[in-house]
Amino acid sequence: MNAHQVAVAAAADRKWLINSAAILRRRLRNNVADAKWWGLVRLLTEALALPLATAASAATASLEARSTRLVTVGADPTHSAALWIDLDRYESIFLGNLSRALVHETPKRRGRPSLPIKPHDAVTAARNYGVDVGLIRSALERTPAERLAMLEANSRFVREIRGKAK
Amino acid sequence: MLRGLVAKKVRFVVVGGLAAAAHGSSRVTNDLDVCYDALDGKNIDALAKVLAGWHAYPRGVEEGLPFIMDQRTLHGAPILTLTTTEGDIDVMDRIAGIGAYTEVRKHSERIAALGVNFRILDLPSLIKAKRAAGRPRDFEHLPELEALLALRNKTL
Repeated sequence: MNAHQVAVAAAADRKWLINSAAILRRRLRNNVADAKWWGLVRLLTEALALPLATAASAATASLEARSTRLVTVGADPTHSAALWIDLDRYESIFLGNLSRALVHETPKRRGRPSLPIKPHDAVTAARNYGVDVGLIRSALERTPAERLAMLEANSRFVREIRGKAK
Repeated sequence: MLRGLVAKKVRFVVVGGLAAAAHGSSRVTNDLDVCYDALDGKNIDALAKVLAGWHAYPRGVEEGLPFIMDQRTLHGAPILTLTTTEGDIDVMDRIAGIGAYTEVRKHSERIAALGVNFRILDLPSLIKAKRAAGRPRDFEHLPELEALLALRNKTL
């Protein structure tokens, strides 16, 4: 994982992570366990306006709990008021964000973005890139329905080939 | 998957590889990318129910962990990359370079294919979105999409 992926998995701003880590004197590590911890700290500070240090302690206590999935991280002596965390719920959201971070948020291309290609150059540029322009021309002669039917047939073929290779 | 979403009246626009294929791209894609209306609670609920029915689980993460697929999870994680019994699907509430569903819908067109009617992101917006996403795999797709646009405009 890289720093950006940790921020996405934790649903937190990268700067918030850096600042919070400095306040808590905690080293930022780019791994799943830390992303999960930071995500919970972020949730507690943002949704319940808990102070950062309190949220950090509550997150640690919750994620270390083994016996229950509904963790009470604070309560008054009479238990009239309590703060509990539904770990199954939190982990579902975290898994969703983690998956997005790992699958979608892969490193971006470095450097200045290229300018859009002028229409009259686009076909030449594609040909130079290795695109079969003849294939594009023949695709344009079909309707969207025909193109998608062809895609479905090709996908099925690829799946079958992969299945046979396993 | 498209038929399932349409049958449950989920409001969505198809983006990504399938939209590109509908416009004429020759790339084979096995997953479905959709942008859904996240401003309407009923729509989120309908989408979550469809995904739960397909036993959706986040892609690329450890298997077997507790995962509740419902509208609350979609509220907490509005962009999900999922694997389901029907195939892989990515659902998102906004598209880089375009915006949220309302904007995406404005830049979409209705098509009839695979036995259903649905909306796909138009080709210029698809190119814009790929450019904004900025990942190498998006840039690799750009020459073909830009040539498609140029040739299509020439024939119109």
